[in-house]
Amino acid sequence: MDKRIRVFDPTTTPKEQALRYAPRPTTLQGKKVGLVENTKYNSDKLLLKIGKILADEYGVIGVLLRRKRNAGVPAHEEIINDIKAECDVVIAGVGD
Amino acid sequence: MSSANLQSNTFEVSDTAEAIEFYYDKGWTDGLPVVPPTEASIRAMLDAAALDPGQEITYIENRQVSVTAEKVAINAVMAGCKPEYMPVVAAAVEALGDPRYGYHGPATSTGGSAVFMLVNGPIARELDINCGDNLFGPGWRANATIGRAVRLVMRNVIGTLPGKLDRSTLGHAGKYTYCIAENEAESPWPPVHVERGFRPEQNAVTIFAALAPHQVYNQLSNTAEGVLTTIADNMRISGSVTSQPQYVVVIAGEHMRVIADDGWSKADIKRFLFEHTRNSLAHLKRTHRVAGPVQPEDEATMRPLVQAPDDILVVAAGSKAGAFSAFIPGWGGKNASQSVTKEIRRP
Repeated sequence: MDKRIRVFDPTTTPKEQALRYAPRPTTLQGKKVGLVENTKYNSDKLLLKIGKILADEYGVIGVLLRRKRNAGVPAHEEIINDIKAECDVVIAGVGD
Repeated sequence: MSSANLQSNTFEVSDTAEAIEFYYDKGWTDGLPVVPPTEASIRAMLDAAALDPGQEITYIENRQVSVTAEKVAINAVMAGCKPEYMPVVAAAVEALGDPRYGYHGPATSTGGSAVFMLVNGPIARELDINCGDNLFGPGWRANATIGRAVRLVMRNVIGTLPGKLDRSTLGHAGKYTYCIAENEAESPWPPVHVERGFRPEQNAVTIFAALAPHQVYNQLSNTAEGVLTTIADNMRISGSVTSQPQYVVVIAGEHMRVIADDGWSKADIKRFLFEHTRNSLAHLKRTHRVAGPVQPEDEATMRPLVQAPDDILVVAAGSKAGAFSAFIPGWGGKNASQSVTKEIRRP
């Protein structure tokens, strides 16, 4: 007698989404860079240092530093809007 | 009872032992064997909470994952839950998606928190959720399996896998299960869910991104101030210290009686602990928790451990015997994650 049992998959596969990178600029010359700070200790210093390197060596004309509410959440609308209004490119990442 | 079809993929195995090994091979367990979920056991779980399989219990924004009742039920069966536990599991999973809890931070952080769950209301006694002896230890099916079910949902449905999307440096045993009830029958104080606006006869679960419990000894004092002075002294340097998380303070039997005999309310306890857990900025600098040289004014500059007295949740629980209590530091800071209470809905 066949006593096989049927058991169920407990996992979920996240819905696939088509992700598209924003077009990359061919040069940073004359561009303004947004810096998204994730609130971690020294993350502002690190980003400003990156901004200075981009200015000194790649012709960036200015940076705009904006702080997230905390490290675990996406950037909120207000800082996204600030950066969209003023910047050409943005640097965001998780430092820990 | 819902007649909707279950949507999950299925697999055929010859017996329970093979199923247990199959779930290990798939990477679907927390390291302990699971109960193989069958159609009958999954449906019993859904029926006990009057949930349709496709019903969304919560949505995890950062992961773009919809957590359905069917998946929660499957993982609850695997954890060893009885069907009547399902409403508690579903309410806790619903709370995971609350923006105030901020799932992504505590679930993924190197800081390594677990989901502490406090069950309030008559359901805690009906389901025999332990609020007494060996409070954080093994021995009670409801405590062991409700917390485990939530962790399995995090692992299997939301993808919070250790070493991948769970980057805990150390973690702790509460990540297997971390579920208790409040001892409402013997507590001299209003239970946590009533403090948060529910009626006593309602059932509710509070989730809290939590580090491990710390046991505090005071076998000497017979005053509220004495016992709480010791608890405050142990709490003062704990958790992330400078980022102001919330705390749970569990007051067990002997301490509960000492504090209540002096007429202190939960609000009195919170206020006293708030005032007596502050650190001087000088101490935080000397112990390398705050950067920079100590300035003369730092000796008198006091930093509160939590943002406000109500960020200390006071819970009456633990054995009647023994002059011990415990505190549980929250993960990170309150700005990133805070405790959330949801009603447990039963048909």
